[in-house]
Amino acid sequence: MHKTMVMLAAAAIAVVSGCSNIERSRNLANPEVSAKTLAAQVCSNCHGLDGNSTSPAFPRLAGQQADYIVSQLNNFRDHQRIDPPGYQYMWGLSRHLSDEQIAGLAGYYSKQTVHRLPVPPEDAKQWAIGKNIFDKGLPDENVIACSACHGPTGQGMAAFPRLANQHADYLLKQLDIFQNTQGRPGTPMETVSHPLTGPDKAAVAAYLQAFPD
Amino acid sequence: MEWPRRQYRAPHGVTCETRIGGIQMQSMILRSLRRHALAYGLVSLAMALLPQAAQALPTFARQTGQNCVACHTGGQFPELTPYGRMFKMTGYTIGERTMPLSVMGVASYATVANTSKSDTADSGLSTSNSGSDFYKNGEPILATGSLFAAGKITDNIGAFVQITHDRYASANSDGSSSGHTVADNMDIRFADRLIDEKRDLIYGVSLNNHPSMADPWNTAPTWMQYVPVPSPGSNQFVDGYAPYPAYGPSGNVVGLTAYAYLDRSYYGEVGFYGTADGAFRMFREGVDDSQITRLQGYNPYWRFAYTRDWGAHNLMLGTSGMLAKIYDGQAGSDPSDSNAYNQVRNTGLDAQYQYILDPHTFTAQLAYMQQVTNYSANTMAGDPSLQNSSLSPYSASDTVNTTRLKLAYTYLAKYGGSASAFSADGTSNVLNQDPTRVTGNVAGKPGTDGYTLEAFYLPLQNLRLGAQYTAYSKYNGASTNYDGLGRDASDNNTLFLYAWFAF
Repeated sequence: MHKTMVMLAAAAIAVVSGCSNIERSRNLANPEVSAKTLAAQVCSNCHGLDGNSTSPAFPRLAGQQADYIVSQLNNFRDHQRIDPPGYQYMWGLSRHLSDEQIAGLAGYYSKQTVHRLPVPPEDAKQWAIGKNIFDKGLPDENVIACSACHGPTGQGMAAFPRLANQHADYLLKQLDIFQNTQGRPGTPMETVSHPLTGPDKAAVAAYLQAFPD
Repeated sequence: MEWPRRQYRAPHGVTCETRIGGIQMQSMILRSLRRHALAYGLVSLAMALLPQAAQALPTFARQTGQNCVACHTGGQFPELTPYGRMFKMTGYTIGERTMPLSVMGVASYATVANTSKSDTADSGLSTSNSGSDFYKNGEPILATGSLFAAGKITDNIGAFVQITHDRYASANSDGSSSGHTVADNMDIRFADRLIDEKRDLIYGVSLNNHPSMADPWNTAPTWMQYVPVPSPGSNQFVDGYAPYPAYGPSGNVVGLTAYAYLDRSYYGEVGFYGTADGAFRMFREGVDDSQITRLQGYNPYWRFAYTRDWGAHNLMLGTSGMLAKIYDGQAGSDPSDSNAYNQVRNTGLDAQYQYILDPHTFTAQLAYMQQVTNYSANTMAGDPSLQNSSLSPYSASDTVNTTRLKLAYTYLAKYGGSASAFSADGTSNVLNQDPTRVTGNVAGKPGTDGYTLEAFYLPLQNLRLGAQYTAYSKYNGASTNYDGLGRDASDNNTLFLYAWFAF
């Protein structure tokens, strides 16, 4: 029994040690590991292999603007983003990424195809309100139209992130962070989002998640 | 750290009406809080010693740089999030190699509802004597401490190795107790992941010392638990003495299992367990040769599960089992004698549902296990007086069915609570009759039913303070007079306060 177990264990370790492959590494401190490998082996756990995350706890990265991903990964790595999900999950993962890996991850996700999220039927009631804020803003409240910076189809523009088909819960939480905290400094959203009420935020988030044609 | 005991102690049942609440309970809590001053002091000291920075975390957190909540649902270790399960299944290799040591400790205070119906109470022994039935009852203790060597070794190999010191491991003749350090949970594994647009396959092998140690779900016997239970004598009826689904050979054995997880939907694990000696002695280091679990040959273990994620929800439906030949340890038996092995068959079903979306987490767990024991020839031949017993048939085999349901909720990864119900039932057997006060079972029948309620608070992500109350409606086969000496199941209701920390 024991000899066999020892041999099995030794054989298993010998076989598997030889299998170490940088193409399948999960090492976040090795600049030789490609961005594509990191995306598949590490990032996919929460964001999905193609960036279409399942859980609203994690933002969807598919089709996201490359410049925006670069800026956020830099913000995590440099501890500029101090919102709790930012530091709880992303500070550590990004701490030793190289500039090249960050650029590679940004390129990888920006090229992924966006899949639509299932839409809760009750959200449809809010779409008209959300669409109005997105397309036209709330001039009386000094809220400019979201589409002015994020694009008419919510696709984003360089450092302005894509919003279309993002998880509504994630968008809502980011609006709360902009409004109520200093967690994401250096963005115009602190000012822009300031006048939005709770129902406004919920409506625009629901509309953006669905982004109906 | 001694995790809740999973050795199957032929549960025995009797039914008894218990209740939580009322004046008796309130006064018990007040008394407990007053006596809790020392534990509070210990907690304060521990908090002062804990570094405040987010990086000041156990070894896995240092390795990924992430907060505990990334892997532990609402911060309630050891329960894993979907990401925590992926971290485990990929061999603890995500991140970067770092200082691989962590320490963990539990300070606790336990008080049992009624200690008067015990032999030691009758003979006037105080709870500060290790010979007491309720050793350290009503006294705060720094119960156990663990050292972990864990984390990434190579890109494909990682480990989780825990060594635990129990300050109250054994009783001395002068009434004091001695500490002991033993091999606790150990899992050394290799893992690889083949992932592209077409398929996602994680596969690996694990060398470990508990059946289900390698399992990533918290309905597995090794991981479905409350707080690690400290020294057995100090709080005899806290949780660990409530039934958990378990495998016949509970721990300190050695096994090699291979597993695969396909498309984040189908999990399978198969392997064999054997006696941890020779080259595998480290897996039960510290356990005396006469106390180790001896197994005959290869003892197969299997586990299959289906999982699904949608939105913030995830679900697992699973089954598992094991066939084991376990040395009976009978007086006069010899491990080389093939007639000295009980044959134990475990079959389990389990399910887990989680909802995880800040600020809430909700978890529902259900686990059922059947254990059929066919007693060894030596056991059956052992005591002629049992053969002639007129009380009930002396059976060569026993079946025990154990079910546990647990619901847990956390808010902001800071406040939480849980409720759990447990039940063990099965065949009666004269073989299991035990007329011992407090721990006995006069019916010779499994049967322990009850519930546990818990509230906890995490002032820091690596410190959990909690209060837990376990109530029994049935204990060791009966609700009243289960030991034949007047003790009722509800006499064992237990309040347990704890501080659990790791850094």
